[in-house]
Amino acid sequence: MRPVYVLGVGAHPWGKFPETPQVQLAAHALGAALRDAGLGWRDLGGLVAASSRFEGGLGWGLHANELLQSVAELGIPTLNVGGGCAAGGIAVHSTALMIASGQCEIAAAVGAERMPKGFIPRPPGTKDDPTDSDYLRWVAMGATNPVYWALEARRRMHEFGTTEETYAAASVLMHRNAVGNPLARYRAECTVAEVLASPVVASPLRLLELCAVSDGAAAVILGTESAARRLGVPLVRVAGYATATGSFGDPATRIPTISTNPVAGAPHTSEVATAARRAMAMAGLGPEDVDLVELADNSVWQVLAWPEMLGFCEPGQADWMLTHGEFDLDGEMPVNPSGGFLSFGEATTAQGLLQVCELAWQLRGQATGRQVPGAKVGMSAILGLGANGASIVLQA
Amino acid sequence: MPTPTSIPVVDGLFDVQDGAPALVGAKCTACGTHYFPRRARCSNPACNGAEAAPVRLGPRGVLYSWSVQAYRPPPLFGMDPWAPYAIGLVDLPEGVRVMAMLTGAPPEAFQIGSPMQLRLEPLRVDADGREVLTWKFAPVAEHVA
Ligand SMILES: [Zn+2]
Repeated sequence: MRPVYVLGVGAHPWGKFPETPQVQLAAHALGAALRDAGLGWRDLGGLVAASSRFEGGLGWGLHANELLQSVAELGIPTLNVGGGCAAGGIAVHSTALMIASGQCEIAAAVGAERMPKGFIPRPPGTKDDPTDSDYLRWVAMGATNPVYWALEARRRMHEFGTTEETYAAASVLMHRNAVGNPLARYRAECTVAEVLASPVVASPLRLLELCAVSDGAAAVILGTESAARRLGVPLVRVAGYATATGSFGDPATRIPTISTNPVAGAPHTSEVATAARRAMAMAGLGPEDVDLVELADNSVWQVLAWPEMLGFCEPGQADWMLTHGEFDLDGEMPVNPSGGFLSFGEATTAQGLLQVCELAWQLRGQATGRQVPGAKVGMSAILGLGANGASIVLQA
Repeated sequence: MPTPTSIPVVDGLFDVQDGAPALVGAKCTACGTHYFPRRARCSNPACNGAEAAPVRLGPRGVLYSWSVQAYRPPPLFGMDPWAPYAIGLVDLPEGVRVMAMLTGAPPEAFQIGSPMQLRLEPLRVDADGREVLTWKFAPVAEHVA
């Protein structure tokens, strides 16, 4: 397997764009990534689309072929990958394999999403199937997505003494980082008092502690070392890339299930923990080598729990790390310099790609307004509906 | 006066035997892992797809965590009248952790670690005047302050 490099990255700003078709958002992001690399559409050797159930031609989500038909009919191989919010990370993984395997010299991954409003509902037209947990969780108890994170957050308060003020401080940090990111949707600073004054959605979590839903798009172009050198782009290597699914006995109650079978000692959110461990092992690096992490903060709970799960600090230590500034841009372990999901709002398939864009900007020293000083290694970690995980490690 | 009839919100998730309610789940015929709701096979990789047989679960458990939903969920959830309510995760002695609506105490009054008891309670009354029942957990009586 040959080494893989980042040739270009690009994104469409996050927000609500009801007038802009999904394929146009995708073309915008991929066009920006191509310009960043100094490439044209005709240079693409392969294209991977991150697809979801929310929107997309022919009912199968964003489709790489549909994008090519609208911009450049190249005849190149395409893949369309799913995995909920993890689809973007999975798409980068698939694209890296296309390069590493020798199939392509240059290939791209793209995600673009326009989300429905409010609580994320069932897919339209879904039958009422009593063996489908996504039916049962709605019809029998009305369990919204936020309540799943709220149950984790309350349990953490019980186990580690996490306070509502500390959760609020996690939201404050995410929003402060986003002030410097023109791609973020919510770019106003907020205070702990303002977060605590926002309405409770699912106790103990409040509106400003849960990610909204947004529209957005992002793209990453990968290639061989010779392509990177020919183009003269900053040399950022995709040092590790991995996907994973959940392990038996994982205590996480996953959206949209209504039960779990915890086994003593089994890792929590194992799909993400496993993907991160594999990506790290592939890169030959450990948590101590990572300069920044972009993690999927669907809520403030993840901002505390995931750095522990990923090995950046001990279980129960994240509260201290956060409140002592160690997750800040200039702290020991910067978390989500982009501003994270809390500042972007979730645009499902684009989210995992935006994480990798941010890692590349950070490692190139181009993250103006939110730069982590001297960043050389960056890691992404993302969870997708059900039990899908992906993690990408970039190294400058 | 005839007893008002009731129907389950979904068939096959719970039943009542000799006046005692229970959840209906499944138990792996190889490793003994319990599941809720019923399912055909065990997902323990050590069991290589072994069959899981129906089994009654509960009715007692321990509250693992809880939350109160302050906003009304989408219309598929037919609670009527609607008011903010608690949802929890309850550890059953069989080793399965079950999500359920909570009852028997004010929404914000639940405590992690409390002993809990299964109850079947109405979500609403349907157009034919029948109570539509779902499963809930309530603090065991002697633990209510
Ligand atoms: Zn088994």
